[in-house]
Amino acid sequence: MVTVDHVSLDYHKEREPLPVLVDVSLTAAMDELVAVTGPSGCGKSTLLRIVAGLIKPTSGSVRVLDSEVKGPRDDVSMVFQNFVLLPWRTALENVMFGLGSRADLTDEERRAKAENSLQITGLQGFESVYPGELSGGMKQRVGVARALSTEPRVMLLDEPFSSLDDLTAERLRKEMYSLLINPQTSVQSVILVSHNVEEIIELADKVVVLSSRPAHVVGELKVELPRPRNKKSDEFFAWVDRVYSLLS
Amino acid sequence: MILALGLSVIFALVVGIWAARSRRAEAVILPLLDIFQSIPILGFFPFVIGGIYGVLPNFVGANLAVIVLIFTSMSWNIAFGVYEAVKAIPQDYIDLLSVSRASGWQRISSLYIPASLSRIAYNTQISWAVGLFFLTASEIIVVGRGAKQQGVPIPYGIGVGANQFANGDFGDYALLIVGIVVAVIIWRYVFLREFALWSERYKMMEEPREQHKDPIMRFYSWVNHRAVSKLFLLAHDVGVSRFTSTIARFGRGIKYAVLISLVIFGLLLFSSVAHSGGPMPSMPSLSLIASDESQVLVALATSFVRVWYVYAICVAIGLPLGIVISLSFRLYDAVSPILEVISSIPAPIMLPAILLIPLVGQTPEAVSTLVIMLAIIWYIIFNVMAGIRTLPADLKELPRVYHVGWWSAWRNVYLPGALTGFVTGSITAIGGAWNALIISEYFTETTGGQTVVKSQVSTGIGKLIDVAMYNSDYVILTLAVVSMTALIVMFNLTVWRRIYHRVTNRYTYNR
Repeated sequence: MVTVDHVSLDYHKEREPLPVLVDVSLTAAMDELVAVTGPSGCGKSTLLRIVAGLIKPTSGSVRVLDSEVKGPRDDVSMVFQNFVLLPWRTALENVMFGLGSRADLTDEERRAKAENSLQITGLQGFESVYPGELSGGMKQRVGVARALSTEPRVMLLDEPFSSLDDLTAERLRKEMYSLLINPQTSVQSVILVSHNVEEIIELADKVVVLSSRPAHVVGELKVELPRPRNKKSDEFFAWVDRVYSLLS
Repeated sequence: MILALGLSVIFALVVGIWAARSRRAEAVILPLLDIFQSIPILGFFPFVIGGIYGVLPNFVGANLAVIVLIFTSMSWNIAFGVYEAVKAIPQDYIDLLSVSRASGWQRISSLYIPASLSRIAYNTQISWAVGLFFLTASEIIVVGRGAKQQGVPIPYGIGVGANQFANGDFGDYALLIVGIVVAVIIWRYVFLREFALWSERYKMMEEPREQHKDPIMRFYSWVNHRAVSKLFLLAHDVGVSRFTSTIARFGRGIKYAVLISLVIFGLLLFSSVAHSGGPMPSMPSLSLIASDESQVLVALATSFVRVWYVYAICVAIGLPLGIVISLSFRLYDAVSPILEVISSIPAPIMLPAILLIPLVGQTPEAVSTLVIMLAIIWYIIFNVMAGIRTLPADLKELPRVYHVGWWSAWRNVYLPGALTGFVTGSITAIGGAWNALIISEYFTETTGGQTVVKSQVSTGIGKLIDVAMYNSDYVILTLAVVSMTALIVMFNLTVWRRIYHRVTNRYTYNR
């Protein structure tokens, strides 16, 4: 579904090109959740933005559903670490903003889709509430609802739980996961960027580990744990260790 | 200028620290500061000049008067900065001082002054620009006429240079403008920037260093010009929330404000009259007051309209411009230094040049409009830019992420995002417009004792004040200044404060 093909990125600052990503390749198949991790600042978020079509790689390409990514597209959606909601718009309006590019929809249809999205993420009844009045977990749900409103095939999650407290994050992780694998939602592939290894082993089918800057792929692991994943089992810890050893 | 700045800083430190540390002082000082900051400085002019110059009718007196005036334009702003900086000191540091039994002076020198330094630095940058405006304005002001003429005879000064141009000295004038630009650049980039960077060392909070930190600091100081705006903008700090309740109490004190003004003006009036040697004027009759006041009200109304339509023009140009520039790194880096330099040229200097522009120069209304515009459009531009630049990058990217069209992007992201900055800038701009009226509505040129009117609008409060000064008509003068002050203060309280509250609640991005 998603193919990152030998992607490299250089920053051009003051003549000397600064390599950020070096020859990174990965794939996310259908029904697969791929986690990308690495030391802080290594460029995982940047990689995600390249997949989203926001940044052009210096070399290499990204293909989603067999077509090359040339810019932001409706079938690829992103959820941000800091939620990034418009504080001056209600929850519903924020979700509708996500549908702004769909010129083929009438306002009615847009509203209906947005309401539906909010319902799926458990925010029914909160449509006319402003982000300032929402808790962190709820704000992120709006972010997810917004991302889901365009019925994307690929979901990109940029450390979506790092700004939440542990309890909320725990709950939201479970909910998001069931939402994403639910056959009724359009999402078929997920790429998750995170630095929380436990979270990664809990959720991912495959883990890609990047080195520190300039980042290249250090290793790839297919997590073979049955679901639902038991976070207290020895196998779980073993997998966590494996990722940590790749990280160091 | 430097003397005035020095005086301002000392005053600010004393007043600001006192207000921050003592509840009772706070309750009295802050409203006073707010009042003084709202009173259009140029309203003070005639009285301060008359008063001081009357006592010392010579070179010293003239310069002293100017210094005092510039002081009044700069000190309140810096005082507020000190107040906020001291208020924001975490309680832990204050406890530390008590525990180590520091003496009064030690506290001041080791904690309060360093804590205030960075704010003083920021606020100085804006105050400097404001001070320049009044400096040039005051150097060309003429008070009195004929035998009682008290034009401020400052032999050297940029305002005087401007006046000379009005007499036809093109060469000197061009040199003057170039000189100012160079001086401004040097001053800004060498001294002020160094001062600001040095004082960074003394910041209490840790802030991530950004590349473009420097311009942002400057914008924040622009933003800080108006009391009301400054307070609510920094509403993250504990100290400020205590202040807002003081403002609420102040709302009741509007009568208080006018009363104080009247007392002050009365005193200055008496002092200036007494020292000019004329007979003590008797209290003018009620009918005279009434008829004069009606004249004042008409002028006030006209100027009110003038202020607002010039503001509208500035918004139409400044708002989109500010947003566009600040959204693009390249544009921003290229354009903002230019803007800063142009905005540093005080508008009064440009007056003589404006008069020469074909068509525009002959139309007094256009002259007035242009002068006011040149004085205030920067407030809008810079504040809008600051507002946009403080938005997180992700938010600004949102329209691209969802590839919405440009209209949706502006309507949903850029315009609302700029709104708090825009309101702050507007508050400052309107205040500046009122002050600029006195320069823009009536401009005279003095050659060898003869004063000729070069440009005047049909009616306006600025003109009224100027003419009254020229004719030594103290009744009209007092009435006009008091009326204008009352209008501005009341407007600030009722309109601006409410708008500001609404806007910051809904439109500030705080995740």
